Formats: sequence, structure tokens, C-alpha cells
Amino acid sequence: MSTPRPASALSAAAASAVAVAGFQIRRLLTRPRLLLAGLGMLFPAAVMLAVRGAAPVPLGRELTVTMLYALVPEAVCMLGLLVTMCPVVADELERGTWIHVAVRPGGRRALLLGTFLAAVTWTSVVAIAAVVAALAVSGTSEPAGLVVMFAALVLVSTAGRAALFAVPAVIVPKRALVASVGVALVVEFLCGLLPAVVNQATVSLRLRSLLANWMGWRRNLPAEIEMLVDPAPAWVHLGAVAALVAVLLTAAVLILERRQFPPSEEG
Amino acid sequence: MIEVDELVKHYRATDGSVVRAVDGVSLAVRPGEMVGLLGANGAGKTTTLRVLATLLRPTSGTARVAGCDVRTDPIGVRRNLGYVSATTGVPDRLTPREILLSFGRLHGLERDGLKARVERLVDVLDLGSCADRPTGRLSSGQRQRVSVGRALVHDPPALVLDEPTNALDVVGSRDLLAFLSTLRADGRSILLSTHRLHEIEHRCDRFVIVHGGRIVAEGTRRDLVGEAGELEDAFFLAVQAAAGTAP
Repeated sequence: MSTPRPASALSAAAASAVAVAGFQIRRLLTRPRLLLAGLGMLFPAAVMLAVRGAAPVPLGRELTVTMLYALVPEAVCMLGLLVTMCPVVADELERGTWIHVAVRPGGRRALLLGTFLAAVTWTSVVAIAAVVAALAVSGTSEPAGLVVMFAALVLVSTAGRAALFAVPAVIVPKRALVASVGVALVVEFLCGLLPAVVNQATVSLRLRSLLANWMGWRRNLPAEIEMLVDPAPAWVHLGAVAALVAVLLTAAVLILERRQFPPSEEG
Repeated sequence: MIEVDELVKHYRATDGSVVRAVDGVSLAVRPGEMVGLLGANGAGKTTTLRVLATLLRPTSGTARVAGCDVRTDPIGVRRNLGYVSATTGVPDRLTPREILLSFGRLHGLERDGLKARVERLVDVLDLGSCADRPTGRLSSGQRQRVSVGRALVHDPPALVLDEPTNALDVVGSRDLLAFLSTLRADGRSILLSTHRLHEIEHRCDRFVIVHGGRIVAEGTRRDLVGEAGELEDAFFLAVQAAAGTAP
């Protein structure tokens, strides 16, 4: 039997991660997961309709955008990633597939990066559809620009938080969901809202700052709220999230490469 | 070539005590040789095989596959080793062809060469009739053949199989072991563990019997059994002697 030649290291690593991403997206195409995705897509629109129905006056553009920000880049993205990114190792251990992935030369790295790609893709599609649906029922004028802005916020949110959840997922695979909720509460919401240096390392600060920047709100913010956003230009925030993603994913890959699972931890 | 020298693997149990799963095991499997690793549950077979597969790091001692050390060159080991376990761990929603292609990509194999390789494996493993059906709908024997194909997709010179016939019926076991014999004839080194001694009695070149993490007997069937008798009897005698309960 002839052996196919290995591709170059970089293209092999990329192909492995893409192969795993395809693999993971196929796994997500189940009825319960699709139902959950459908709920994620419709939930912000339902909230928007309810608020619109209850409000005595039409919702202004700024209120609509603020609500949508809380509902989609924060809530929908976070919940979507908890379902798709957190079980990256636990699912493999449970299904008995971990050992078969881990005995491949780049298997562990490909598993993590591929699942990251799948989680970001899946959650972003759901979140962007949620934005479109919510804007459609909100009655906001000129929604196209808002869709583009929210699509960018969704991508920043999913990439940053998927990388953040990757770390507890490889350290405590079987309790990754609980640990990730803890990380989200402590890092993203508590530290993210502290007007101190520590919030510079959070995705939530970058998202709020990008929103304020792209909506042109910075000049009109009350002093108390101004403390919660960073006035740096958009490229600084995007670069900061990219650096955070790189650091977190590298740390997660290194931990996973060294992780040992005795037979008793599987199945 | 598979080489294990004075391998020790200790675990820390949840109560803080140290479990000596493998305690000084040494063995070698030459190219073109099939060796059976025998032992009761908890004897240290799976731990030994998992150290060889780079899933566990040794506490001390060395383990090498095709000259690559599991500690210093785990990537080299993974390139040269195929690993099959009792739990096939094949994703239910993917087809055999998709699984073989996906795992080939995990080895970084080039697309065109990989496709040809997968078709050859589908043919050799007699998976043609089910290659495009989700594996969740396949029989245990077919799933195990997919698992073997997945271990062979990168054409490794060494194979480690942990109780590969566990979930198989008599026909499935026989077919799998016959296939392993052809791989041995190709010059591969094969190390397999099993509880079903009668199945491998006449297939393996040598046997290594472990108990309590140590080797208690090893040799060819003739060395262990003599002219008459069965391997199972030799196994019981060796294990009972090691446990201090020999008749």
C-alpha cells in the first residue's frame, strides 16, 4: 500500500483544524442543537417585539441599539459558546474519541483550533441572524449599517470569548460549563466593569468601546459611563482582542498537549 | 519496532495513594512480529499501551516506537504508530469514508494521495458496501474495521491494539485477526492485548503475561505451554504463581 506524502507543516496544521471544524459542525446539525439555534435567533426579536408593544412611545435608535447589544453580542454569543466551545474535550472523552484524536501528530491542537473555528462560525451565524430578525421587527430606519456593525461586534465577541472558554475547557474538561460561567461572571462582567487596568484584558471592555466608537457616542456619554469605555481608536480594540485570542489559544493548546487522561477518566 | 524498557507508570488515586499501574515492564516487538500482551483486568496492559501511544507519560523507563522516544519525540511516535482500542470511538454521524479522510488530514496527508489511500483501505477492509453510510448504522464488526482503517490511514510501521476483538462476534474477530496477520506479513510490528486467549493462541509469535504491573511470563506458545495444553492454562499458572496462589 502506498503512503501519501505529508503536506507542508503550516498547510497541514490549517487543513487539520479545518477538517476538525467540518467534523464539529456536522455534529452540531442535530435536531436539538438546531432547535436551540432557532431559539437563539428568535429570542432577541421576541424581546424587541415585547418591549416595542409595551413602550408608550416608539423606541429610539439608541435604545434599540443598546438593547440589541445586550441581547446579541453579550447574551446570545455567550450562551452559544457555552454550548459549542466548552465541551471541546469533555465530549471527546465521553464519546471515546479523545484517544483517537490525541494519538495523531497534531491531533490535540487541531481538535482545539477546529472546535474554536466551528464554535465561532456556528455562534456567529446564529447571532447575526438574530440581529437581522430583531432589527426587522424593531422598526429602526436604515438597518443595513447596524447589521454590518453588529456583525463585526458578534465576530469580536465570539472569537474573544471562545478563546476565553477554551482555557477552562482544557483544564477542567468535565466541569468546563460551570467553570466557564464562573469565568464569564468574574472576568467578563466583574473585571470588565471595573474602571481599572484589569479591564483592559477583557472582551467586554473592547466590545463596549467599539460600540461607543462606531455609534459616535463617545462625546455624549455621561462621565460615569465614560469610565467604562476606552477612548482608543477601533483598530486598537481589534488588535487587543486578536492578541488576547492568540495568547489564550496558545495557552490552551500548550495545556492540552501536556494533559494526560487515565483510562478511568474516559467514557 | 516497538521497545519498552523498565517502564514504570504510577498514578495518584483520588484518596492520595499511589497506584503502581506498570512496574518495570520491558518488552520488544520486532518488525514482522505480532506479540500478545495478556493479563487480567488492572494488570497494566492498557496503561502500557497508552504510554506507547503517547496518551500517558511514563513515570520512569523508556518506550520507543520506530526509534522515537515517547517522552522526547511524541510527534515522531504518533507518525509511526497506529492505535486501536476496544471502544471504537467512531463518530456516529460520519461515514467510514469521511472518518478515514478526516483522520488522514489530521496526519497532514496531501489530499490526492490521501483519497487514493482511503479508497485502498475501504477495499482492503471490505468496507465498500457501507463506506457512505453513517457509522451509527453499521454493525460492531464494521465499526471496528473502520477503527482499524483509521489506525492505518497514515501507513504506520507499528500497531498497538487494546482488546480489539472485545465487541466482535466470532466471525468478526476471526476476520480482524486474519487481517492483522497480513499486516504482520507486510513487516509491521504489532502489539495487541486481549482477554480472549483462544483467539490469538495460534496467531501471535510471542506472548507477554503481566500481573500487578509486572511481567510474570513471556515467550512463544511452545515456551509457555509446551507440546500439549492450552495457552489459557499457562496463563492461569503464571498469574497464580505471581499472586502466590499456585496450586
